[in-house]
Amino acid sequence: MRMEGESPPGSPPGWSTGCGDPPPPAQKTLSLQERWIPLGISVVSVVVVFGGLAWLVGSSEQWPRIQRQFFNGSAMVEAFPAVLRGFWTNLAVWGVVLCCIALWALVLAVFRSLNGPWFAPLRLFTVVYVDLFRGLPALLLVLLFGFGIPALQIPGLPRTSLFWAGTAMVLSYSAYAAEVYRSGMEAVHEGQRAAAKALGLSQWQTLRYAIVPQAVRNVLPALLNLAVALQKDVALLSVVGVRDAVREAQIYTARTFNYSSLVAAALLFLVTSIPLARFTDTIARQDRERRLQRTL
Amino acid sequence: MVRNILPFLAAVGLGLGLAVSTAAQERTPNDPQLFNPGQLTVATGDPVFPPWMLNDDPAGGEGFENGLVYALATEMGFAPEDVVWVRESFEQSIAPGPKSYDFAIQQISVTEARSEVVTFSDVYYQPDKAVVALPDSPVVGASSFEELRQARWGATVGTTDLDYLENILGISDVAVYDDQAGVFQAMQGNLIDATVVALPTALFVTAVQVPEAKITALLPPDENDRGHGLLFEKDNPLVDWVNEALAAVIERGVVEDLIQTYLVGDEVIPEIRE
Repeated sequence: MRMEGESPPGSPPGWSTGCGDPPPPAQKTLSLQERWIPLGISVVSVVVVFGGLAWLVGSSEQWPRIQRQFFNGSAMVEAFPAVLRGFWTNLAVWGVVLCCIALWALVLAVFRSLNGPWFAPLRLFTVVYVDLFRGLPALLLVLLFGFGIPALQIPGLPRTSLFWAGTAMVLSYSAYAAEVYRSGMEAVHEGQRAAAKALGLSQWQTLRYAIVPQAVRNVLPALLNLAVALQKDVALLSVVGVRDAVREAQIYTARTFNYSSLVAAALLFLVTSIPLARFTDTIARQDRERRLQRTL
Repeated sequence: MVRNILPFLAAVGLGLGLAVSTAAQERTPNDPQLFNPGQLTVATGDPVFPPWMLNDDPAGGEGFENGLVYALATEMGFAPEDVVWVRESFEQSIAPGPKSYDFAIQQISVTEARSEVVTFSDVYYQPDKAVVALPDSPVVGASSFEELRQARWGATVGTTDLDYLENILGISDVAVYDDQAGVFQAMQGNLIDATVVALPTALFVTAVQVPEAKITALLPPDENDRGHGLLFEKDNPLVDWVNEALAAVIERGVVEDLIQTYLVGDEVIPEIRE
């Protein structure tokens, strides 16, 4: 961790802002003991805790059977091509749905933020929309949309379950994302609006140039968090016949009664969600540093 | 939690049983190897469907599978009231670990891969596969696998119907649903054209659940699907006893009678062989 405002190491006292500053504290050299004992304690405690857990699990009488049924290498290899094929479906659906959510939720948040009597219907719409779609389980929406709307057979509309179930995900997640955007917009200081008004910007221009860009930057980590959650919830689409990674793994499990395919699917999800989580951390850290620099 | 405690209680109960009644003999209703000595504990689905079991009431004894279980119980020396039913989902039946029953019956197909993690009894029934579709479906009037392949297919996860579509008909993009209700919902929403199910199930579905659907064709058996068997925990020693009883019940024609009573339709359905 970098300490903001600290003098660069090695520079003479008072280098930064002239005389009067106290000299930086002298670097204390750690003795061998001070350096290694905490490290030793960390290593030993990690080994004891995780080694103990491993011993507890491994010495269980049922462990060989569980290992055969959950961590069977050859079963994983056998199931992998189908699971991977399903996983591409996950990623494709995730990408498309994510873009739609990012846009639609922003539209909703903007609707909500408009003031003036003429925009009352839009504000009301947003409030009802968020209450409705945030209050319903996503699974229920996927079932209703994925089975219900194609069955209406309305001419001119797509009739695949995939399309409508994806739409259900967009509607559901947009309600959450709209609230995140809104909190970001409310966090923009009131002075910014006043300043924009003073410059003669219209309500629309104020949103476009002053509020939304700052709001999006405020809530980007929270939105990325939603994106990670969405990546896993795409698996809900399997209930309307979409063969995603989890469903392909279930098919293998049901066929052979071997659960290793589910572990293979879990590994695939981790391979994508962990880098995304690290990326979210990086964005959040950069954001924090940017703010600290600005206030200096 | 309850599921975790049950096997423990069972083990304790078993231990007590062993200590108290050392006279308990194997292959009698008090066999200490039973999940609950003195009782035959049988698992099945929740809900259960006709014609396999009628009225969602296994203990009623009406239906093919519960009829078979009561015949087996009698053969093994149990009174009908000593048969205890446990309800659980298919996923629970196949989950690893100790089972909270002696055996499960739920139209579970015996396959080689499954036999590596559970133990099956001998096969008691091998159903034909039937194509079920709505009257305006493209599979109506089809006469070859080639024509069937043109249709959009759906099946239920966990069934051998899906394997059948993929391995025997060679269809790679089968839509897979959680349950049979989902399959027929998709069929009525024109998302799929047809499905394959076991003939007795097809007879019930087309007669009661989805009367507008009909059986359009019978299909040849899949050699890898050996038919329905009773499911035991891996290496459960009871399986030999149950197999002997099953052989005796089949020998006496009881299973054939049950098939004639519950599983046979009187329609003439065209067959598609290749």
